[in-house]
Amino acid sequence: MSTFPAFRQDRQSQPELEVVQARSGAEVLLSALVGQGVDTVFGIPGGANLPIYRHLPQFPIWHVLVRHEQGAAHMADGYARASGRVGVCMATSGPGALNLVTGLATAHFDSVPVVAITGQVATPTIGTDAFQESDVIGSCLSVTKHSYQLRDPGEIEEVVAEAFQVARTGRPGAVLIDIPKDVQQAHLGDDRPLGRLRRHAAPVPAPEEQIETAAAHLSLARRPVILAGRGVAIAGAQSTLLKLATKLDIPVGTTLLGTGVFPNPHPLSLGLVGFMGTGYCNRAVTDCDVLLMVGMRADDRVTCRLDGFAPRAEHVIHVNVDPAELGKTVAADCPIVGDARDVLERLLAQVEPSSRPAWRRQVESWRLRHPLRHPHNGRLQPQQVLRAYYARRRPADITVADVGLNQMWAATGWSGDEAGLFLNSGGQGTMGFALPAAIGAQAAAPMSRVFAICGEGGLVMTVQELATAVEANLPVKVLILNNRQLGMVRQFQDDFYGGVRSQVDHVVTPDFPALARAFGCFGEVVEDLAEVGPALDRAIAHPGPAVLEFRIDPEAGVFPIVPLGGTLSEFVECPYP
Amino acid sequence: MPIPVTGSASSPRLLCVRVEDRAGILQRVTNCVSRRGHHLLSCAVAKGPEQGELRLWLRVDTGIQPPEQAALQLRKLIDVVAVEDLTETGVREWTLGLFEFRAPFARGLEPELGRRGAQVVERTPERLVAALGGPPPALDAAQSVFAGLGLRDFARGRPIALQPAVPQEA
Repeated sequence: MSTFPAFRQDRQSQPELEVVQARSGAEVLLSALVGQGVDTVFGIPGGANLPIYRHLPQFPIWHVLVRHEQGAAHMADGYARASGRVGVCMATSGPGALNLVTGLATAHFDSVPVVAITGQVATPTIGTDAFQESDVIGSCLSVTKHSYQLRDPGEIEEVVAEAFQVARTGRPGAVLIDIPKDVQQAHLGDDRPLGRLRRHAAPVPAPEEQIETAAAHLSLARRPVILAGRGVAIAGAQSTLLKLATKLDIPVGTTLLGTGVFPNPHPLSLGLVGFMGTGYCNRAVTDCDVLLMVGMRADDRVTCRLDGFAPRAEHVIHVNVDPAELGKTVAADCPIVGDARDVLERLLAQVEPSSRPAWRRQVESWRLRHPLRHPHNGRLQPQQVLRAYYARRRPADITVADVGLNQMWAATGWSGDEAGLFLNSGGQGTMGFALPAAIGAQAAAPMSRVFAICGEGGLVMTVQELATAVEANLPVKVLILNNRQLGMVRQFQDDFYGGVRSQVDHVVTPDFPALARAFGCFGEVVEDLAEVGPALDRAIAHPGPAVLEFRIDPEAGVFPIVPLGGTLSEFVECPYP
Repeated sequence: MPIPVTGSASSPRLLCVRVEDRAGILQRVTNCVSRRGHHLLSCAVAKGPEQGELRLWLRVDTGIQPPEQAALQLRKLIDVVAVEDLTETGVREWTLGLFEFRAPFARGLEPELGRRGAQVVERTPERLVAALGGPPPALDAAQSVFAGLGLRDFARGRPIALQPAVPQEA
């Protein structure tokens, strides 16, 4: 990495920078953030949070000035996913606050700890439809784990501490703190009352009988399968998962958000499960007699039609830290509430080594019969681009996928043996996520190379954040798989809606290299396979943000795919040789 | 195995929810119920057993969703202290009604009020207001009878309930 964020350079050159004595509500807030270990905040100032920005320069916090508040939320999200710490974003009241909503939903649905701090109109004007007033608390109720609207500066310190604790403990999520402008400006007296910090208990360890039962089911299984999700990464249980799978000789599939929690390639790796999962993984789940699902939700993209999900399973073991996820969609006869690492470690201690050669041979035959493949028609295929990209990947490189076909191509082609290096919006499927999330990830991991994989449709939704990347000196590399369409929608229309292509063609797309250069980035367009590698090398060698547009086969699709309403076993494979 | 998880077409639950008495708590609770696709049939609110707490009684139809989900999702709210699912616990539900009658009063009105244990809380030459508490079916029956005795208006609270006592083990 040839560049560092400007702030980090500043911090190195200004070691004397220290937290100032807090006085106003804004200062107390900033001091509390520093106290929580916050060193980076993504945001935009506006009328209702100017008191905070008035004091921001006094604190050792690197503020990344974004171009749209949605970008701030995605950056905080990417920062949190890449660092394992709480990401923080800020916005002013009204439209600024409401622009955060999509980003908060994206983080919350993927169990990412993000704290959003919004300015609000002054307390006396709340409810009067004042200028730039919005009910951001009401608007965010269903996309946050909790929210606060402060009315007293004396609450700030305790609320910030509680908000961070809520965001990162149990099942992580998004938390909103809404602070009226007069509360930011109010000065605290010496006799300010101390609030009551509520403690949120850590999950209680699962009862030993449940572990014993699950261990017995796994040990006696003839055709077991493990499915693992992002909860494994959150719990830091990847190595335990690998040990358990190896000890019991059990194939492991992952959810989209779980990409990376199990090494791929690996003899036991089944790749991605579900709607656009590998054929061999979906076949294995369909035929398994014992299914262990760990750190995952089992949503409809995983299960497809419920009555066809693991229909031969005699036992389903479901491990999740959130009790509400157990039995929400799939009935498990062995539900275990608990931290993935704790449960997997205890299972590992209970089971004896075993092997299942017949089952492994069966899975291998499915792997050979249902390989991932794509057309060879002379046009540039996205898989060819990604293969060239992944061949250049270093172990610590971070890949951030956007949403749509690009996401599935990137996920199915991903290889590595470490979690937290493939980031994407799995729960909400938010187009426009990749670029700002990559910027946030780059801020969190300045020594890593960060790549955003996008379609042209998703990129233009947040493309203005290229300015943020240039300004903040965050050298993300953007790889656009441009098919001039809303590709996944087009594939759905072709496959499931009578082939009627309606409003999916992007007749006009920007000249992306020119657009990149307009923002101060490196930009190139690639149309030939022979140019893919050299272009990637040039972009990687460029010290700043770079954009590569790959003009891919517009008809390229994702295969295999399960027809809408179909079961996992009804996947359709690539029709081309 | 496994089978899809769904409730029946109509799965009303009676939940007793203890919450911290903070601004916006009712919005949080009702949002949580509706966000999960459940139908909030009724809500009663009273002070809770601990200082700074409220107790809510929610009657929720979880529809085709798993019936346990309503309580499980509510327990995830930070301001929720505890959730008890009182459905099928033999709980005693209680509700209160105020019934207004206008002059001229029916001849059998006051004997009927007395027979049902209603308390006259206001009496003027123009109107009579009676209060009656009891299990919801008792109030339904009374209301039906009162309708034939000049009932002009009424106000009914939503049911409240307490968890039945746990039998002492021998």
